[in-house]
Amino acid sequence: MSYCMDARPILFTLARVLDEEGLEAVMIGNAAAALHGAPVTTLDFDFLFRKTPGNLRKLKGVAKSLGAMLLKPYYPVSDLFRIERDEDSLHVDFMSRIDGVRSLAALRSRASRIDFGGHVLLVADLADIIKSKTAAGRPRDRAVLEILEKALDEKKKAGSGEA
Amino acid sequence: MKKRKQGVAKREALRRESDRVLRDRIRRLLEKPPDERTHFLRKRVGFTASCL
Repeated sequence: MSYCMDARPILFTLARVLDEEGLEAVMIGNAAAALHGAPVTTLDFDFLFRKTPGNLRKLKGVAKSLGAMLLKPYYPVSDLFRIERDEDSLHVDFMSRIDGVRSLAALRSRASRIDFGGHVLLVADLADIIKSKTAAGRPRDRAVLEILEKALDEKKKAGSGEA
Repeated sequence: MKKRKQGVAKREALRRESDRVLRDRIRRLLEKPPDERTHFLRKRVGFTASCL
């Protein structure tokens, strides 16, 4: 059983901690889609980042600032890094590659910059999220595609000025 | 034959109504600024222990 809660306090904290540690990461997945107005829910936050020794050090700093653990759950099969905090089940995934997205630079150039308490969070464009979920093709991705496409359609109709 | 046609019409009406409701929800969310579209985080509640 689950219920939906306001992610705002967590988003404020994530934006601040990423900014303070200087880790550049673009939010992807259902959380990013929800910030674009898609009525979808999620249990975690997903980010795309560049896997470099410097960024891995920063990622450790992010986990430490959050009072969380940094795990590598599917090592060596995947490049997924997971931040988990037991006290409130905070769950943040960092990936260095995802289906349907060729370059982080291109994704970042199209991303929206959403301000949370003076710290900017980079949020992938809804069209990029759709492209990624289509390429991934997992049942849970396909299940939300129709909703995301309708959200993109409504956003275009509204002529939203959001970058 | 008539029953089948009625069933198809009913399903089509239901699909149109679902689409309208979904688009209304999206429009309401789009009226808010992006930093307020934040009611999306699902939290698991209840016991997760096994009986073993």
